[in-house]
Amino acid sequence: MEVQVPPPLQDIPTAKEKKYDRQLRLWGASGQKALEETHVLLINNGSGVTGVETLKNLVLPGVGQFTILDSHVVSEADLGVNFFLEEESLGQFRAEETVRCLCELNPGVQGFALTEPLETFIDKDDVLKPYNLILVSAPLDSAILARIQLYANALQIPTFYFRSTGFYSSFSVLLPTAFPIVDTHPDPTSTTDLRLLKPWPTLSEFVREKTKGLGTESMNQHDKSHIPYVCLLLHYLEQWRDKNGGKNPETYKEKSAFRELVREGDANEENFDEACANVLKALNPPTISSTVRNIFAAPEIDELTTSSPSFWLIANAIRQFYNTHNELPLPGAVPDMKAQSADYIELQNIYKKKARQDCAEVVETVRQLEKQTDRPKEHEISEKEIENFCKGAAHISLVRGRPLQIVEAGKPITFGDRAKAMAMELTNPESLIGLYICFLAWDEYIATRSTPSNENGDNGLKIPGSTDKDYKTDETKLIDMAHIIVDNLLKEANTSIDEPESSEIKAQIAKQCKELVRAGGGELHNLASLTGGMISQEVIKVVTRQYVPVDNTCLFDGIASRTYVLRI
Amino acid sequence: MPGRDRFIGQSLGASLTKRVKDSRVLLVGAGGIGCEVLKNLVCCSFGSGSTPAKDSSTSETESNELNTSNDRKPEIVVIDLDTIDLSNLNRQFLFRKQHIKKPKAFVAKETASQFNPSVSIDAHHASIFDKQYSVDFFESFDLVFNALDNLAARRHVNRMCLAANVPLIESGTTGFAGQVQAIQRGVTECYDCNSKPVQKSFPICTIRSTPSQPIHCIVWAKSYLFPELFGTSEEDASDVVVTEGDNAEEVAKLKEEAEALKNIRGLLGKDEFAQEVFNKVFHDDIERLRSMSEMWQSRQPPTSLKFEELKGEQGEIESQGSAISLQDQGIWSIRENLAVFCHSLSVLSKRVQSGENVIEFDKDDKDTLDFVASAANLRSHIFGINLHSEWEIKQMAGNIIPAIATSNALTASLCVLEAFKIMRGSQTYTNGALAPSSASNAHTNGHHDDLMGGARMVFLQSHNTERMVATQRLVGPNPECPVCSPVYAKLALQEGSLPTLGQLVDLLKEKLGYDEFSITTDAGIIFDPDLDDNLEKSLAEMGIEANGNGFIRVADDADEPKADLALSVSSQKGTSQETPAMQLLPTDITLPLKPIKAPVKDDATAMPGTKRKREPEEQIDAVFKKAKLGEQEVLVIEDDGAILLDD
Repeated sequence: MEVQVPPPLQDIPTAKEKKYDRQLRLWGASGQKALEETHVLLINNGSGVTGVETLKNLVLPGVGQFTILDSHVVSEADLGVNFFLEEESLGQFRAEETVRCLCELNPGVQGFALTEPLETFIDKDDVLKPYNLILVSAPLDSAILARIQLYANALQIPTFYFRSTGFYSSFSVLLPTAFPIVDTHPDPTSTTDLRLLKPWPTLSEFVREKTKGLGTESMNQHDKSHIPYVCLLLHYLEQWRDKNGGKNPETYKEKSAFRELVREGDANEENFDEACANVLKALNPPTISSTVRNIFAAPEIDELTTSSPSFWLIANAIRQFYNTHNELPLPGAVPDMKAQSADYIELQNIYKKKARQDCAEVVETVRQLEKQTDRPKEHEISEKEIENFCKGAAHISLVRGRPLQIVEAGKPITFGDRAKAMAMELTNPESLIGLYICFLAWDEYIATRSTPSNENGDNGLKIPGSTDKDYKTDETKLIDMAHIIVDNLLKEANTSIDEPESSEIKAQIAKQCKELVRAGGGELHNLASLTGGMISQEVIKVVTRQYVPVDNTCLFDGIASRTYVLRI
Repeated sequence: MPGRDRFIGQSLGASLTKRVKDSRVLLVGAGGIGCEVLKNLVCCSFGSGSTPAKDSSTSETESNELNTSNDRKPEIVVIDLDTIDLSNLNRQFLFRKQHIKKPKAFVAKETASQFNPSVSIDAHHASIFDKQYSVDFFESFDLVFNALDNLAARRHVNRMCLAANVPLIESGTTGFAGQVQAIQRGVTECYDCNSKPVQKSFPICTIRSTPSQPIHCIVWAKSYLFPELFGTSEEDASDVVVTEGDNAEEVAKLKEEAEALKNIRGLLGKDEFAQEVFNKVFHDDIERLRSMSEMWQSRQPPTSLKFEELKGEQGEIESQGSAISLQDQGIWSIRENLAVFCHSLSVLSKRVQSGENVIEFDKDDKDTLDFVASAANLRSHIFGINLHSEWEIKQMAGNIIPAIATSNALTASLCVLEAFKIMRGSQTYTNGALAPSSASNAHTNGHHDDLMGGARMVFLQSHNTERMVATQRLVGPNPECPVCSPVYAKLALQEGSLPTLGQLVDLLKEKLGYDEFSITTDAGIIFDPDLDDNLEKSLAEMGIEANGNGFIRVADDADEPKADLALSVSSQKGTSQETPAMQLLPTDITLPLKPIKAPVKDDATAMPGTKRKREPEEQIDAVFKKAKLGEQEVLVIEDDGAILLDD
């Protein structure tokens, strides 16, 4: 799992660049390159709209290739809900027709159709090898889903499994066991790191020079009003420490008192306003986040080998830096502030120089690690990559992929090490765990009541609510199954829920089950489009290795118009 | 339900499905969100019914006489003024390469119709500001969707929907963020209930004399240098202002400088043009600045550049520039910037000579972008500021707002989802997914928010892993909102009659009990207690005409004033002798008293028609902050790359 930050593409043809301009501004040339190197496989089942809508959102921004595996033949009902079919598609293979219509969206993308039944397709060796991302839509034979998971896991191919029916949908992501992200695109306001509590000599020197005579007659108002707020804060911090036994303001009360001290310096000037406004934000001690702490404690960081992903080598080097200096490398950016141009530029240079020094130290450590691990010269980690890592070191992230929860006939549904957490979700009114359990029951219904596939393209899967005849019994059956899952979850977690809460939770689940049965496995186009939007968004995060992807299951309730994420 | 409707019938239930099919909806905008909304509407069978929609929403402003011309057949009407551009194709999926330069509305209709021939789509390639889109026109719809990219049009549709009392679903995206807001007169906040952020502007001296950031140099190149050379240059750019902090003497001097530049414009087309411009702005003007020693006591003075020295002996610089300008992702050296500068000046000069009298900066016009990027970089170099790639400069200069397929798909789906709720809310319901019992079941902490059928304010933050789609309850109108607090009604003029302003004044006195009051049109005040000059004039002379999209505003001057009255004007066929020349509709308007006013806020930010501008980055931040804090402030953001600085 190499984290690669390719250099900016210098030679994309202008027309292409122009077409993709608005998205390049989000994920850059490196993200675009990753997207263009991706081949997505959609294993399309059921009414199949969500999968096609997902692909639409990947074809438009220019995914490299996609393949649809779908042996279904287009029916009237498909025409009413799937935008990427035409009247003439009736009676044709849905895979071929949707691929044709999707390809019209972007001539730069290659699409392929496979019309072979899933059962025989998955039987062959290495059949998933050409793909680097797999999308699987429900419903399908759970034994086949288990095999897809097995293969995908072995090949470390990220896999999405999703269900969408009526007003409800869910998707789960199977990621590799270690999925690190450097470029997480944190909120710009959270990335400012000015190190005011640990200034280095050059910065302190600059501050002394700029604040010389501050508070006396020797400084005129013009100069006073143009002292960058960074210098003001550092100046008054020194005053504060002199009066407070060398300690920085730490508590909220002390910080408020410190702000008063700054305010006494001048009541009106804009730079003093800026300084006051930044007191609370800028005086936080530089602690590292729990995410970074977890990465520093991950086994991979100590088990470096010749072929370790570059992420772990750099992370190791950054950890050494942190252990030595008790701080991360300085990112080096200075926010906009009131100042004379030259002062501002000098201040920027002071921060930039320190950032470069920090980075150089990390580079040196990385080189040593490369040597120690006999890393081949051609896999030498680029300085650019190390620099990016240093800049975002405080915001790196690591997702630990977990297997999909697959419901197989005859096997009990268990939650393992997540049982306690999921049982707690049951009593959280914000949570959509109930809906997730309904979907598990839905999977269980299909797994236990389906018949072997038959020759008219019907895969033999029986969906709750799909026939009027069994509508009422399906409701009862699904509710029973869902309630048993709840009871077993509580048993597994060794806990219980008191009345009347317990009955309320079950009543709520019963309502959602009825909704699922009412929809009868049919997709509402609008919901499929929305779910496809969310899935494609996550696919882009995964293939570009930018932004933090969902970990690992997302539910959407179209009645309340909201999502909820569960770690199953 | 068999066949095509099977899935929609299963999901929505029979009764809502019928209502959806029989609905008549307006979609304003066929861009990023618009294409997606249209697809969803068509795939959910909106406007595919064969029976005319019965108007069950008993809107009180509609009278039989007025609506004879209204075509209420089930239909989707799409209005868009734009034509298709290459940079649309990464997300506006109803368009293909061969459609570039064609009207979006027509192509969108053509592509979407192929999917479901039973849906009736009416496409208009027109501006929503056109007079034909009157209040009567808006009244013919069950629902309006805004899928716009600019504030002015959003505000306009907001006002028209308030006047027509038609629910509006407002939406916008920026990058990974999006927002959907349902609006209904008297029930929810309107688009203007909260003031919108204002665009950032820069003091003139920062731009012209003491830049410290790349953006200062970019604004200089784009809003000063470029218009001086190729524009009309008379008007001052909106993003550069004279502020209190600006030195008056210096401002006067800057005026002279600009005059001198205009003289150089006379050399356009001559060989020495580039050299003269260059030496003027990067040498002479800089030297003049340098000579003002008091300015540089506490800052680094700039270092001027000389054309001849920079150019050196290395051959034909213009043709080199044309090659370099294609490398827009890397940062050009100073000499490369000079090459691009010369190249772009030469190309632009030729365009002027071949008849293009005025060229305006457009981020998608490569020649103008080349000029601005190279000039900005040269100036940055002079002031010791970091240089940037042309690609980065394009974003800063063009206020480009990132846009992707996924956010549009999500936002549009959320729009249509809210539409279902609104349509559900306006009918008596028996069974189905969105029956009130199931709408309130979803753990809403006991809240029963029935505003607009349980519709919510929806926020999309798809870069946020935990809360991709989150909602907030809709809030009631701001009682002080200048746009939705007035009572909206109609003034119906009999066809052919020519009533005077005096007659209108009498009518208002008689029907609504006004004593002292004023009347304002879009052109200004036409009547108040001290202004009675116009009473004899006909309404037509005062610019009040039937079936337009303007409003007459009546404000009470009493000590305890009644709420403002906003009248749209429609024409009425004189079917009988008794039809009055002029009447107010509905006939039983009641005007409540105005709420006691809180301390006056900055009213200008919320006045309709006052175009406000915003800084995209601020918008994005603001949206995230608001969504996080769950504040009640409404902020809908731009969809596409609107050039806010330029409009």
